[in-house]
Amino acid sequence: MKEPVYEVFARKSREEPLRHIGWVNAMDGDLARVYAWKTYDEQNWSEMCVVPRSAILPIDPEESQFVTAARDDHEDEIVHSTGTGSYGGGDVAGKEGR
Amino acid sequence: MTELAAAAAFEKADQLPDDARAPLRDLVLALADSKRVLGLRYSDRMLGSPTLEAGIAASSMAQDEWGHARLTYALLGDLGDDPKALEHERDAAEYRCMPPLDADLDGWNGMTAAALVLDTALSAQYAALLQSRYTPVHNRVQKLLDEERFHFQYAAAWARRIAQVPELRGGFQAELARYLPGALRWLGRDEAPGSRRLVEEGIVREEPSALRVRYLAKVGPVLEEAGMAEALGVIRDGGEWTCTVRSDWSGWDDAARRAGGSLDEATAARARGDLNRALLMD
Repeated sequence: MKEPVYEVFARKSREEPLRHIGWVNAMDGDLARVYAWKTYDEQNWSEMCVVPRSAILPIDPEESQFVTAARDDHEDEIVHSTGTGSYGGGDVAGKEGR
Repeated sequence: MTELAAAAAFEKADQLPDDARAPLRDLVLALADSKRVLGLRYSDRMLGSPTLEAGIAASSMAQDEWGHARLTYALLGDLGDDPKALEHERDAAEYRCMPPLDADLDGWNGMTAAALVLDTALSAQYAALLQSRYTPVHNRVQKLLDEERFHFQYAAAWARRIAQVPELRGGFQAELARYLPGALRWLGRDEAPGSRRLVEEGIVREEPSALRVRYLAKVGPVLEEAGMAEALGVIRDGGEWTCTVRSDWSGWDDAARRAGGSLDEATAARARGDLNRALLMD
């Protein structure tokens, strides 16, 4: 089983556009979120997102950094999971997740 | 607004009723020691993790736990203790960490089980302090719980993954079975006088039995998805999660939240920072 790649995007304020800051390997979206937040934590981001690399459709695949040779053997297949959202998504105080 | 919610906040420990100050000190010390030792246990597992990302996250979680410990030890200054002495001067037998943390985590199964079952129990107890009338604790808890959301996501995702691996399932379930009774018991007894006074005064907002229900509502769905809930005695009874395994309270010390046993001296030495004691500064 190969782990999918998730691209990581972030910005420091609402006024800034999201920019690509790196990538992580993760089994599913939940772990990708944790890994991204814990790996790229050297700056004070106001927002961070992860996107499965396989969900990115480059206009020009020849030039895109988001295409890998490994795609041919499904490395980038999205792993669908119910995620911790199904456990309430919030903290143990019972708040809804952000 | 309830009478309790409208009651004035306690800005300092000397404003607390005498019979609430000692149990609050006991609770805060148990939380601080558990965080300190959990951080050490996580740090032992960050090398040799299944993936680089998992190791980085484990390292970050260890740092989080040490940060939470430091924050929690600092509270004890207002409660009459010397936080530095508590952190650096105690023997192993004086540590009040959650008993399942007395021993090393057994590989990645142990790491995941501890993150899911033990860390979440600590968070449930901290969450009951979120609206505390004791202001110093109330002010510190939200950020800590925000960080813990990531720990739970991490644990839940790894539990799902391990549950899919036939050669690991049995070992993982055994680790969960080893930790779950200790976590449920650690949340305490409603009838303990100290616990009752803390709830009566609005210092802790939920009694132990309510904490257990909320804790199981968090952990139960993960165990269910892993296909292990029933075997562990965790069931959904109507809308509420319960555990059919009854806690054994024999020998239980409500103040220490332990029934004997002790952290090992080697781990206590690491917690105290003995190796570099000569470099310790005031």
